[in-house]
Parts: sequence; structure tokens; C-alpha cells
Amino acid sequence: MTSGTLPHDVVAKPRFSLAGFVRARFRRWLQSRLPRTDTLLLTQGNVYILPTRAGLMFGLTLLVLLIASINYQLNLGYVLTFLLAGSGAVSMHLTHATLRGLTLHLKPLAPVFAGEPAILNVVLTSPGSARFGIGLKISGTADSTLGWFDVPAGGQAQAQLSFVPEARGVHELPALGAETRFPLGLFRTWAVWRPAAELLVYPKPERPPAPLPAARPVPGGPTQLRSAAGGEVEGVRGYRRGDPMKLVAWKKAAKALESGGELVSRDTSASAHQELWLDWQACATLAPEERLSRLTAWVLAADRAGADYGLRLSELTIEPADGEAQRRRCLEALALWK
Amino acid sequence: MALTLSPFAPWPGWKYLPRDARDTLFLLGVIAWTVLPHVPHLPAWCSLLTLVVLLWRAKLALSNAALPGRWVLVGVLLLAAGLTYYSYRTLLGKEPGVTMAVVLMALKTLELRARRDAFVVFFLGFFLVLTHFLYSQTLLVAGAMLVAVWGLLTALVLAHMPVGQPSLRIASSLAMRTALLGAPVMVLLFLLFPRIGPLWGVPQDGISSTGLSNSMRMGSVAEVATDDSIALRVRFDGPVPPPEAMYFRGPVLSNFDGREWRGAPGRLDAPRLPENLRVRGEPVRYEMTLEPLRLSTLPLLEASATAPVIEGYRITPREDMRWVADRPLLERLRFNAEAYPAFAQGPTQRNLRLIGQLELPPGYNPRTLEWAAALRRDPRYANADARALAQALLQYIRTGGFSYTLAPGSYDDNNGRDAIDQFWLDRRAGFCEHFAAAFVVVMRALDVPARVVTGYQGTDPIPIDGYYIVRQSSAHAWAEYWQPGVGWVRADPTAAVAPERISRTRRLQASPGLVAGTIASFSPELLAQIRGSWEAVNNRWNQWVLNYSRGQQLDVLKSLGVRSPSWEDLALLLISALSTLALAGAAWAWWDRHRIDPWVRQMDRMRAALRRLDIAAAPHDAPRALAARVRERYGPPGESLAVLLDALERQRYSRANIPRPDTALTRRFVWLARRLPLQPRSIAPG
Repeated sequence: MTSGTLPHDVVAKPRFSLAGFVRARFRRWLQSRLPRTDTLLLTQGNVYILPTRAGLMFGLTLLVLLIASINYQLNLGYVLTFLLAGSGAVSMHLTHATLRGLTLHLKPLAPVFAGEPAILNVVLTSPGSARFGIGLKISGTADSTLGWFDVPAGGQAQAQLSFVPEARGVHELPALGAETRFPLGLFRTWAVWRPAAELLVYPKPERPPAPLPAARPVPGGPTQLRSAAGGEVEGVRGYRRGDPMKLVAWKKAAKALESGGELVSRDTSASAHQELWLDWQACATLAPEERLSRLTAWVLAADRAGADYGLRLSELTIEPADGEAQRRRCLEALALWK
Repeated sequence: MALTLSPFAPWPGWKYLPRDARDTLFLLGVIAWTVLPHVPHLPAWCSLLTLVVLLWRAKLALSNAALPGRWVLVGVLLLAAGLTYYSYRTLLGKEPGVTMAVVLMALKTLELRARRDAFVVFFLGFFLVLTHFLYSQTLLVAGAMLVAVWGLLTALVLAHMPVGQPSLRIASSLAMRTALLGAPVMVLLFLLFPRIGPLWGVPQDGISSTGLSNSMRMGSVAEVATDDSIALRVRFDGPVPPPEAMYFRGPVLSNFDGREWRGAPGRLDAPRLPENLRVRGEPVRYEMTLEPLRLSTLPLLEASATAPVIEGYRITPREDMRWVADRPLLERLRFNAEAYPAFAQGPTQRNLRLIGQLELPPGYNPRTLEWAAALRRDPRYANADARALAQALLQYIRTGGFSYTLAPGSYDDNNGRDAIDQFWLDRRAGFCEHFAAAFVVVMRALDVPARVVTGYQGTDPIPIDGYYIVRQSSAHAWAEYWQPGVGWVRADPTAAVAPERISRTRRLQASPGLVAGTIASFSPELLAQIRGSWEAVNNRWNQWVLNYSRGQQLDVLKSLGVRSPSWEDLALLLISALSTLALAGAAWAWWDRHRIDPWVRQMDRMRAALRRLDIAAAPHDAPRALAARVRERYGPPGESLAVLLDALERQRYSRANIPRPDTALTRRFVWLARRLPLQPRSIAPG
């Protein structure tokens, strides 16, 4: 098995050119013909092949060899020319066969934050013989972003591709391109794959994050020791079984362990009675997307702090809670906010 | 060029080299192998420069150092161009071209940065491979070049395996597979691609360095006689003259200094043909394709009364019945000419110019002169004319125990002062030039004007594509003597001892070399066997590869049943064969597009059989689940079916990857399922 990660190449916005426009239109039209699927079997129908520039040069070389053979009446020259011609013709078939029959499968995607690379895990499966030199990239990016993979006979290869979604929301995945020039580089065969999976992109968290708003004590609860700045919990207590790992105050625990003590957890018992509301209205001075960024940063900070927090958007309110599910619920709400 | 070739770092072992270094070293090795056979034809500086550049590049690869800048390369290239010009006085032509190609190839390795650079190296490599065939097309060269092409293809494959460190073995087997799969296309194209003549005249300097020359020294023709390359091809319009009449007249040598025969210096006042030539009867018309002989004399069939028209050359006759171009023939020429087999030439009356043809250097070959004088003293020949004397000499050769051999040994003892003596009186073994030279010397000693004529005699016995091939090995020397009232008369003393040399034009065999001699000394049978099989292989090679021409192509068509094959039939057959191949490919592609995975097809058949047995079988059911259902429903009678399903389960999920389903299993399953009586659902246990 082989795997690799692709660097993302930021595509500069090209200057307008008619050829580029036509090509882009053509690509869009072509891609719109392709059904979206998470598992693509490459067949005669969706694998394309054309000679490369080197292939054309090879043809020219063959022509020169042929003319030389004719003019000097070299029968061995004919043999050489025709041997190379035959190998070239066979290489066309082999190049096509490198992709044909291959299965591309996209593994489920994890949501990402806008501006952070999304990792696409692709599994290449070869039912037959070994395949070499298969390049994968996000369609439309430069050739230098190609990642190369070999697929063993009857086996699989894991490939990782990444791209950076710029905006929050649910995104269709960009089309992926698989290509190869193996074995002789005279032909380039390629396939375009539009995965069906959709990628959920959370808003980009504000950096540096603004301080969390102050928590309000729940009426009737005991008063609490909380830092005025919010976010940082100060009290610690001995580790109790069942404390989540993120509550362990590692620095203090390390010191405590060194001196023969036990693990130390942050004392959040108090915060259970605090309510932290992350409110759309609290950042009214900002543009909507920036507000979402700030709220996202707050959700992350509050989750890191282990606080109970609720989220109030204009038409949506998520009651305070903590934990992974709350975090996800809030981030999804922020990602999908209209 | 300042090079610091410090000693290489300790060799890490082929396997432990970094990928880039290993690939580069491999490519450098392939390039060295490709260039190596050229070394004998290259100037020493070129071989040295190539070696240094390749070693330098290898060092850079091993130390992973930066490649030199472009200006260094341009400098070296200019230097190489200058040296090439210095060596050849030109940059055009074959030799300078090959030299520059080798230098370019070596320098390009210093510029291997992008994929495009690599491709330039490969294509230059293929071109260099071709240039070897300009020098030699033997089996040995072909084998070496096959290895070179294999190496180049391997390097090309390696360049397209970007992942990890693929082994050379895998890359080379992939390259071999590609070439082997391409071989049928190669054979088809080779057999059927119409052979056409040269598209334009190419300068063929230096292709044949042996051949006729304007002088003759003992031993020189022997080199020619072992050279099997083609000198010229002749196609006759109409009847073909008998082999013994096919004398192609080359340089005429009448000046003898005791060691060497030379042509007479041209004289402007000499009578010109055709007044010097008297022809009778009908001429033989023929077309000649002449390989570059590097001579001005056209070896025309005797006797030509008119100059052939050759574009770019002015052909004029000489007093000695030669036709001479205004400059040496350095390219392949094709022209039409006509020859009169019945002719007489030269002055009918004795004149001053004939006296030059009587001169013998004093102090040479005294015993032969004495032998001639003794013949003259013989009363039978006291008043004999030139013809009778010539007959006497030929009779002497026929009956004097002379033998024909291409390896007579040296006649150079005593500075060659008695070379003719030794040949004529003692050893009596030699080939055409010995016979011709001795004949002329004796005739002159008998006071008969005589001269040596060189040229080609005879052709390959079987015409190829209507062309009779004359090889360098058919180079010949014969004699002419002058008879009053008739003129110059041809006499071929070699025919007197080896008539088959003339009439059947058997190719002459060279003497065995050192290795053959060694083998022969301990096992003559082995040598004979080796030589026999080697000759057979070589003969096949010559016949099927090197001499495969339009004639053979048309023969192939005839054997395929075409009545009167032509060039067009050939092209048609080739095109239809290639189209058939392409159509077959397209049909296969169509079939491949619509075919179902064989495993899926197998499961479809088995599920259908199970459904007939009223067992639910959904596409997602594993064979194991189906087996359980069969056992549940049919019990022991269904066991054999269940066992097969279990076997299938093992095959599908085994560790070893089984590429294709076991069709025997499928057939047996379907057969068993048909014979199993349908079990009503109600009785099913459980």
C-alpha cells in the first residue's frame, strides 16, 4: 500500500482569455455530464487518452528514423523504426489499461473549518495486475500538485488529497483527476471523477479569538470562582475516574506526579451551574461572516474550557450543554446559517 | 574544461543508492553501451570527451551535486564543434554528424533536469542506434543494439514509475513486455511496408572504404574480395548476358614500377572513344544503381559506346575505354546505360602510345623474363602472334599446377623484386591480381603490349527483385593484350585456373582467422559445425533481414495467393492488416466496456440455479449465507451444493488473490442444482 499527501496549490485567478474561457466552459460542460458517485469504476467510457507532447516528438523521431532507413536502405533501420512504432502503439494500450478497470473510492469525509485543508481519503483498487504511476489531483490544479501512487496486483492503495475550502457551508467536492503516462510517457490517459460526498465546512474561527463573553450564573446556583476574562478555569481538584482527558490539568498533573501525587483535574463542578451564552447579538458590530467566525472561535474556546454553553443565532437557539455533540451541533448551526 | 574527478565515495551498493542516482547511473550505462560500438569510427577526442562527461555526470549523481550551468555546456559544445571541424574539415555528412550526435548525447546528460530533457536523451539514443547500421548490419551489431534499445526503453519506463524505488528488474521486464507485445506490429510492418528507393541522393561518404582503387599492389584485392557489401546493382531490359560476359570495367593499370600498378597519366591528345571503339550487333540496355565507390571511373559493362546521362556529373570517355566522371562518385547513383557485348577496341596499327604498355622495370623478376625468353626460343612460338602467345600462357596456367586461393601468403620477400617469379614459377598460388599481373608481365616480356584492367566480374547468381547484385567481393583484375589489326583483346588468366570464379561467380571465401584456426587445431569437426551453423544463421539473417527487399515482399504476396502482386497490393495489404488490428482493438474495447465482472457473472448463474430450487438469493448474500440456506432447506441431498458454495466463499475471501472464478465449479454447481429434486417448502425441516 502506498499513500501520500498532496500539497494544495492555490490557483491564481487567471486573466481573462477567450481560449481559457472556452476551455473552462468545456470542462464544466464535460463534468456536468459525469454523474456524481463515491465509487467510480474506470471503464472504456470514462477514461480518455491523447498523445503527449513527448509522444508527438516520438512520432517525429520515428519519421526521421524511417526516412533515414529508406534513404540509406537500412533494413535494420526499418526493424528499429517498426519495433519502436510497435512498442509505442502497445504503450498506448498499456497506458489506457493502467486506468481502465481501476476502482476509485472516497472514504467518508470529516468536516473542516474554512481555510483549513480538507483531506480526501481515496482508495484505489486494482482487480487485476499491478498498476504503476497513477497520479491523482484536484481537477483544474497545476500538474505539480499530482500525487503518485502504485496499486499492487489485486490490492489497494490509499491516497490522500487535500484542498482548502474558502467558505463555510455544505460544499460539493471539486472534481478529481486521475491520470497516468505509464509506461513510456508517449500518451496521457486521464479520468475525471466527481465524488458524490458533500463536505461540511465550518466557519473560519476568528484569530486571534476574542475573549469569551462573561458567563452568567444560573439563578439559584452557588456563586463561582471564575476568571473575569472568562475561558480559563482556575480551580483544580484530584482526578476522579471518569473525568474526560481534556479536563486533566496536564502541567499541574505532571508536577504532582513527579512529587508522587496523583493526576489533577480542572474543577469544573462549579461551571455546571454557570451558563455561557454565545450570542449573535453580542457581536453586533461585525459583518455577518465575521460574527460567525467569532462565534465559532467562542464555541471552540468554550468547548476547550469544558464549559456549558449555548448558542443563540437570529432564528435558532441551542440550549446550553457541553461535550462533543454540543460542539458539533453548534458548529453545524454556524456552518449552515443563512 | 577543469574537472576534479576525485575518487568516488565508497560504493554503497546498487540497492542502497538513492533512486535518482541509481536511475541516472543506469541511463549513463545505457548511453555508454550505445556509444561504445562507435568508438572505432570516432576521433579519439570525441571518445575521450564522452567518457569524461559520462564519468563526470556519474560523479555528480553519486554526490548529488548540482549540475553545471548552461554556459559550461555551451562552451563544451562549441569546443566539440570546433574539434569536429578540425577532424573532418566540415560539420556536414555522416561522420561529423555521428560525432556531434555522440557529443550532444553526452552533454545532454548534464542537463537532465525536466522530463523533456530526458526525452531528448531517449530520442537521441534511438537515433544513435540507427547510425550504427550505417556502418554494419551484422547479427552482432543487431544484438548489441537490441540490448541498447531495451536499456533505453527500461530507462523510459523507470522515468514513469514515480513512486518509491521500483527495481530495475521490474522496469526492464515491463519494457521487454512492451517491446514483445509490439513485435507483431513490427513484423507486419517490416514484411509489408513497401520498400521504395532512396527519396533523394544522400551523401554516402565513407560507407565503403574498401573497393576498387586507381592502383594495385599485391594483396589489395584480397581485402575487397572478403567484403560482402554491395558495389552496384544491375537490372537488364531484355536478355541477361551470361555471367562470363559480365565485365564491369574499372581503372586500367598500365604503369608498373615493379611493386605497384598504376593508371597511365591522361593525355589530352589521345584518341577518344568512340572512334577508338568498334561495336557490332545490338546493345544490352540496363539500369545500374551504383554505390559510392569514391572513384571517378564508372564501372560500366563492357563495352559502352555512349556516355550514360547522370545528373550533376559530366561523363567523358578515355583512351583505355573507361568512362570517367568529372569528380569522384561519392553518392549512390542510378542511371541507364547500354553495352555492346561484341566489340573491338584500341588502335589496329602499332603506334607510339603502345610502347608504354611494354615497359617493365629493370631488375625485377629476372627468372620470369628468362622464362619468357625461353618460350620465345621455342620454335613453336618463334613467329607466333599475340593471340597464340596468350593461349600458350593460359595453357601454362591451366596445366602448370596453379591454384586459386584468397590467402596465398605474402610475395613480399626480397622487397618484392621477384614477386612474379615466385608466383609464376614457384608457389603458383594466388588470386586474380596475381594471375593478371603475371600474365601482363610475361606478355610484355614477350614484346606484346599488355595491361591490367580492374573492375567487377560477375554478379550474385540469383537476381533479387530483377536486380543482379554485384558485391565488392566480385572485384576482379584481368588482362588485355594488343594484337595488330584487332586492337586490345581481353584475357582473363584467372578463368584458366578457376573457371567457376568467372562463369558461376562463386563468392570467394576468406582464409580462417586466429580463433577459427585455434579451434580447428583441436577439433576440426567442432569448427566445421560451428562454422556451418553460424553460416546458416548468418545466411538466414542476410536473406530475411538484410536483403529483404521488394522482390521478397512480392514473393510473400505470391505465397499469399496474389497472382501478379504489385506495389499497390502491398500497401493495400498493409493498410487492411493494420485496419483489421485497429478494428479488433475497437471491438475488444466495446466488449470490455459491456462485459460484467466474471465473479459477478458467476454469482448470477449460481443465484439463478438456486432460485429454481426456490431458495431466496439476493445480490448481497454471501456464498456462506446461501450455503446455510441450502443445508437448512435440503439437508444431506443438498450437501454437495452447500460444499461448493463454501468453496466459493473460501476462494472469494482467501488471502491469495484469485483473478478469475473457477468455471468448473460454476458448471458443476449448475449441473448439481438441476439434478436436485425440488423440495417443497412445507416439508423443510425447522
